[in-house]
Amino acid sequence: MQLESPKRPSLRDALHTAALALLLVPGAAKAEDAKDRVDFTSLLYGEQSRTQVIEPIIRFTHLWPDGQSVSTQLGIDVITGASPTGALPSGVVQTRTSASGRVLTSPAGQIPVAPFRDRRVSLDSEWQKPFARFLTSTVGGHFSREKDYQSLGVSGKLSTDLMHRLLTVTVGGGVSHDTVFPVGGTPAGLSDATIVHTGSNAKNVSNVLLGASRILSRRWMVGVTGTRTFESGYLTEPYKVISLMNRVTGTPMGDLTDKRPSTRDRSSLLFSSVYHLTDDVFYANYRYYWDTWSVRSHTIDLKYRRQIDPDTYLEPLFRYYTQTAASFYTVGLTQGAPLPDYATSDYRLGVLNTVTLGATFGFHPEDSPGEWTLRAQYMRQSGDSSPPNAIGMQRRFDLAPPINIYAVVLGYSFGY
Amino acid sequence: MIRTTRRLVRLVVALALLVAGGCATVQPWDRDLLAEKKMSFNPMPMILAVDEHIYFSKEASMGGIDVAGGGCGCN
Repeated sequence: MQLESPKRPSLRDALHTAALALLLVPGAAKAEDAKDRVDFTSLLYGEQSRTQVIEPIIRFTHLWPDGQSVSTQLGIDVITGASPTGALPSGVVQTRTSASGRVLTSPAGQIPVAPFRDRRVSLDSEWQKPFARFLTSTVGGHFSREKDYQSLGVSGKLSTDLMHRLLTVTVGGGVSHDTVFPVGGTPAGLSDATIVHTGSNAKNVSNVLLGASRILSRRWMVGVTGTRTFESGYLTEPYKVISLMNRVTGTPMGDLTDKRPSTRDRSSLLFSSVYHLTDDVFYANYRYYWDTWSVRSHTIDLKYRRQIDPDTYLEPLFRYYTQTAASFYTVGLTQGAPLPDYATSDYRLGVLNTVTLGATFGFHPEDSPGEWTLRAQYMRQSGDSSPPNAIGMQRRFDLAPPINIYAVVLGYSFGY
Repeated sequence: MIRTTRRLVRLVVALALLVAGGCATVQPWDRDLLAEKKMSFNPMPMILAVDEHIYFSKEASMGGIDVAGGGCGCN
């Protein structure tokens, strides 16, 4: 049997395929037609017996026929609840005074928490412009302000398509000048909350990004992105404390304030893959992270988008995160022992695992200009419940009880 | 600091060259699936930004997705 040589598609065939592709992607076609676009999301976030957050965000985007776009985004976070102070539990009721002068009481045997309330307003802007046929630049700026923190920064990115648009290379960078002004003043590190000054503290952040993505087949695209972030200035958490333990019984005898190094260099390497099955899409990401505080982490993020019909999809997600502790993390300090240069008991810098399960439901109702998305997810964080340096009574307590977190995000996007 | 950055750049370039060097070719008329909005690494940027904000405030790591966005006193 003689095999026929593959027939090269004609221009007519190619146009026919392209037209069919557009017909099969009504969402994309509508988005391209629109000159303006509005995206709205609202987050409802709750930790069991701890922090609650409501965060509405609205984004306006104007698109020009040449591919240029400008977008502005406004977000408001309203945060209430309580967060762990870093102090150790005790066999009796504990009473302490917070940095802002409030008297806090913690039940016996429980991780002490401090109530707080804050509001954060953020404003972000981005201008994207294609140059020539294969170059796209993005310039952005951001400003955010909360009760004790302000951030102001700019960022830029340049992407170029190579190898007949099979390979895209992106380089970018950003700088941010943040200011920290703790309520009640800035305490000296590793002190009994002695206030050093009541002014503000500078924190500067700069980062660079280099990424490449490659089309491997008609259905498969992969990418690799490396980032470096340099932080300097006031990186301490002013409201966190470290317990001083009795060297024999482990009883908390008092608190010292948190103290962290004034520099931190962070690096990350992200591998991404997107694969199109018959109708569904499978997303897979793996990130390796490391920094100069000795934190190392692995993150696996998987999503499967089940296309129920052209306008409806369901996307289950799974994420697993694991990190090592920072070199200066400690569950507590021993009374009478020499103080280290730096120390923190913030559980977020200890050994930590996070498992996230959830799903996104997206639908585009008939005769509606927009698309709705509803994401619901459950997170469970767990740490080292019995750290090796716990002494005496501290060995009886669960020093890292699991934290259950629920988050719901509602989104609506439309073009006009 | 500079040495680590150089190493990271070399690593990303090497990995990019590894995948770029493949002989896979996808003709423009075969990119109908790739043109779909859902065939992007980040098809829902606003939801991703919300997720990143949550994880940034609850974990010690950050980065990988994009250049820095708005700062936050949450961590």
